[in-house]
Amino acid sequence: MSYSLAIDIGGTFTDAVLRRADGALIVDKTLTTHDNLLDGFFRGVSLVMEKAGATPADVTGVVVHATTVVTNALIERKGAVTALLVTKGFRDILSIRNEHRYEMYDPQIEFADPLVPRELTFEIDERVLADGEQLRAVDEAEVAGLVDAIKAAGVSSIAICFLNSFRNAANEQAAARVLAEKLPGVSLSLSSAVAPQIREYPRASTTAVNAYTAPITEPYLQGLAAGLAKREIGHRPLIMLSSGGIIGAEVAARNPVRMIESGPAAGALAAAYFAEQLGLDRLLAFDMGGTTAKACLIENREPLVTGSFEVDRIYRFMEGSGMPLTIPSVDMIEIGAGGGSIASIDDLGLLKVGPRSAGSMPGPVCYGRGGTSPTVTDADLVLGLLDGAKFLGGDMPLDLAGASAAIEKLGSALGTTTMQTAGGIFRIVAETMAAAARTHATDRGFDYRGLPLLAFGGAGPVHACAVGELLQSASVIFPPQASVLSAFGTLVTPVRLDLVRSALGRTEAMDWADVDSILSELIAEGEDALTAAGVPADAVRLRFGADLRYVGQQNEVAVELPEDPRIAKDVAALSEAFETAYFAQYGVNPSHVPIEIVSWRVTAEGPRPEFGGVARPGHTHGAAKSARPVGLWPEAGDVPVYDRVALGVGQTIAGPVIVEERETTIVVPPGWTVVVDDIGCLIATRSA
Amino acid sequence: MDGIELEILWSNLIGIVSEQAKALQRIAFSPVVREAGDLASGLFDARGRMVAQANTGTPGHINSLCAAGLALSKHFEGKLVPGDVVITNDPWMSAGHFFDITVLCPIFWDERLIGYIGSTIHHTDIGGYGIGAGARDVHEEGLWIPPSKLYEAGVPSALLHDIIKHNVRTPDHVFGDLAAQVSSGRSGGERLIALCKRQGIADIEALSDEIITRSEEATRRAIRALPAGTFRGESRFDVPGGTMIDLKAAVTIDNQLGEVTIDFTGSSDASPIGINVVMNYTHAYSTFALRSTLNPEQPNNFGSLAPIKVKAPEGSIVNAKYPSPLNARHVVGMFVPMPILKALHQVIPDRVLAEGSGAVWTVQVQGKRENGEAFTSSMFNYSGGMGARAAKPGPSATCYPTGVAAVPVEILEAVMPIVFDRRELRVGSGGEGRVRGGDGQIIGFHMRTSSPWLLNAVPSRLDRGPEGLDGGEEGAAGRFLVNGQPISEVRKMAMEPGDVVLLETPGGGGYGAAA
Repeated sequence: MSYSLAIDIGGTFTDAVLRRADGALIVDKTLTTHDNLLDGFFRGVSLVMEKAGATPADVTGVVVHATTVVTNALIERKGAVTALLVTKGFRDILSIRNEHRYEMYDPQIEFADPLVPRELTFEIDERVLADGEQLRAVDEAEVAGLVDAIKAAGVSSIAICFLNSFRNAANEQAAARVLAEKLPGVSLSLSSAVAPQIREYPRASTTAVNAYTAPITEPYLQGLAAGLAKREIGHRPLIMLSSGGIIGAEVAARNPVRMIESGPAAGALAAAYFAEQLGLDRLLAFDMGGTTAKACLIENREPLVTGSFEVDRIYRFMEGSGMPLTIPSVDMIEIGAGGGSIASIDDLGLLKVGPRSAGSMPGPVCYGRGGTSPTVTDADLVLGLLDGAKFLGGDMPLDLAGASAAIEKLGSALGTTTMQTAGGIFRIVAETMAAAARTHATDRGFDYRGLPLLAFGGAGPVHACAVGELLQSASVIFPPQASVLSAFGTLVTPVRLDLVRSALGRTEAMDWADVDSILSELIAEGEDALTAAGVPADAVRLRFGADLRYVGQQNEVAVELPEDPRIAKDVAALSEAFETAYFAQYGVNPSHVPIEIVSWRVTAEGPRPEFGGVARPGHTHGAAKSARPVGLWPEAGDVPVYDRVALGVGQTIAGPVIVEERETTIVVPPGWTVVVDDIGCLIATRSA
Repeated sequence: MDGIELEILWSNLIGIVSEQAKALQRIAFSPVVREAGDLASGLFDARGRMVAQANTGTPGHINSLCAAGLALSKHFEGKLVPGDVVITNDPWMSAGHFFDITVLCPIFWDERLIGYIGSTIHHTDIGGYGIGAGARDVHEEGLWIPPSKLYEAGVPSALLHDIIKHNVRTPDHVFGDLAAQVSSGRSGGERLIALCKRQGIADIEALSDEIITRSEEATRRAIRALPAGTFRGESRFDVPGGTMIDLKAAVTIDNQLGEVTIDFTGSSDASPIGINVVMNYTHAYSTFALRSTLNPEQPNNFGSLAPIKVKAPEGSIVNAKYPSPLNARHVVGMFVPMPILKALHQVIPDRVLAEGSGAVWTVQVQGKRENGEAFTSSMFNYSGGMGARAAKPGPSATCYPTGVAAVPVEILEAVMPIVFDRRELRVGSGGEGRVRGGDGQIIGFHMRTSSPWLLNAVPSRLDRGPEGLDGGEEGAAGRFLVNGQPISEVRKMAMEPGDVVLLETPGGGGYGAAA
């Protein structure tokens, strides 16, 4: 039998999935090994191969990897000693930022130190103007003159970000040539290659992040390839990118910044896969774990992608408190609401849940690891939604008495019973997630009402119907393999690279020669990367897009183009596509305002992997294995509990009902009905 | 109502307006709304009391919207029918200059008025003088829209639309932003009705009583924990043209009642140029100073603001009367928190910050491109350093008390023939101290043009830097130079093609004596 292999390294677990050619999935989980992530990687590989009885020679399909290695290096500030070269007069580009105070009402606000300190930021007397004109070329002697200082500081990576380099990269390239010659072995990141987009601060930030993490990522990916070769797994690894693309390890190693949201992007792709399988154009993917919840909109069966996002937000997940990155990424909102979110009472006597989290250490009170603050998981346990004896298949018994006592204490301050308090925590965390999802959707011009919800993550299926109720979701979908969904997502995705380059100008004065040179370069870059990832040249499909806006606006709207825009050179059609997309998002088009193009996008994509679909459930309709009271619905009596594996296609159960899996629990409230579909999804809908 | 039910309802009310604010900010044409979130969105009960406010927005709008909503609802009491939308930009009724237009949408559940959704946003243009402080009276500053119905029973008021259309320079942008205000008000209203239905409540009056009472009580409780007395603070700074302005605040804490009165008696008289501040705006920045140091985590509403009284003599620069010009009221308004923070330093020293650069410096350029085409830039801005905190240095090049983002150099260079020579920290400009003030920044630019051009720059603190606190030293005063020569000018300046502009923004004051 032939297999494909996927490994997803997350914050707590490393998930391994083997997909057999007939669609069968063999999955396992092992703890993430933070000291050396590859230890966990190969442990996962061994576990799952053993389980399948497969040999390395059987892995003839792809090997795909999603990882937190880059994010960890950033959050823990364990990257390389990095230098930054900038245009003379702009040395403080990283510390001035955009001047914004992200939280207006906190006078004690702080900003993270820049990744590259001032003393390692060097000015070069060069200048490119906005139209690309090279006003001052790089003086090679000036660059060479910095070499000693850079060496003395022990720098192993250099970022170069000159003004307007996205229009003309010659000066960055000239400086890089000198450095490459004088400092062999030092990693170089050019802003014109990493993030060729207008706006100097986000571009410099993106380039600095790339430079800072490159010396960590490259050996990691080399170690990965070497380890696979040693185990005689023939395929070169492919790496999951934030955009939802996957690409060869060598290309990924040059642009580690593109790997930051690797795991979550894979989860969104899995959600898109199920949207396709279920014939749903739009849905909201909802992933709730231990510390945070994430939500992502799927439209036309693909995740929404954004051109910019932030990493390492240091203040309550607040926009503006992280480092901006301008690379394509699956557009996700992260909410400070997870199983470990702590419940407390504020000055106004209100019950609040999160954003403070007990995390996985000490974790909820019921973990018995020293946590004393009541959390969402404690409430779930007290309410009877979780079975303390069966958590993680019984591997990790939960302390119900401890959880009860902590919640009782909270209730005595509120004047509510333990059960009411636990119910309050359950309801409030749903409200928090629903509110964040509404704002996220509104911000993108989406009407969230009626969108189906696809729930995964350890805590997602427990809370999804409560959130769905608030969002008026048409249905809540619980996909199979929800606990390893990200790893699964990497296996249903074609090899793909998303590229973007700025070229600001009014559409009415479009310079098609310029457009031609930009698109040609992007296409060449994409095709080379796909070829390197093993995609035959004739199988590469190109997609085109553009970011446009009305003159005077700050936000661009991304538009998908039906074909290579150079064929028709049709500005009117481009403008019309923009106006349609704008109207869809904002519901109004201003008249008479000229339109400008900000960036061009090219996606190079290989063929979609052949996949017969996930293994289908059987047709035997299993019976409830037990029943227990649930504090949320005292009038409902004992609620039946099923094992998910015992359910068969077509089985329909009226809520309230609980369905247990090893890693999660599906909660279906009264007034909902759940049905098992033929690909193994559980689909809950409100009963008529 | 217990702390669980109330939390759920309350967070939903805030959610409704926050969502609408987000939609407004994203769609707005007005750069200052998009970039700085210079807007406010609030939900009012049937009595016109603000129950919830979006958690975005600038301090200048905190209380202004609360006051405007109440005033408009009183003005139209008993005269509203479903489909009506009311509007005003009266500076004394709302946010202090014509650019800020407040739109209030009554929410009718069937035929019953259950509340209002209101928003104030800074529009791109309002006719008249345009951006800057150069008008001689308020009438020169543009179109004055008294409280009126923008829509009557769902039908746009043709006359009012026509008046607006003929009195602003960019009617498409203004109507685009007004349409956004109206549609966000309406969809917020629908959300509120849906919430009431879901929760089985007929209106929000009982809920609003609970929220307002608890909020007011919490603010009073926070005030009662402070020592009683009157504490004084003063700030002195220069404005464009070189005039010195004094702001004096006497902060009286009544820890029996749990009330604070902030009295600006002794502050400078109103100015002949358009930097005067109306009472609503002074109130807004005063409550901001107090609440951000006292209990910032509590949401803004009618109740949480109620225990804070603000007074200023009529005709002073912080309680300007008709027909004082008001356009650039931020130039003085952004200094309003500083004397208050100095007074509060005597009460809660670890929660305040030293004086900072104050108003952001704004710049606008007009001229001709090489092909003869005329251009006018939008307003762009630069911050100085923030004042030091008791245990943390002041952030550099970060504005306070408002929160405006700077437009990237590359964006400015792409849209007009400007070339920046430098933009870097002004190292050492932050005041020394046990904890240092933030540094200002140095911005240099010239134009690539062969024609004369116009520069409209509004710097402040050119003579006197921000004071330190508790023995900390003063931050460096700002510098505004053309071809190396210091300038102090209120009005637009005629410039020659080769002129070079240098802006050095002030550093923040230090905190505590340096070791």
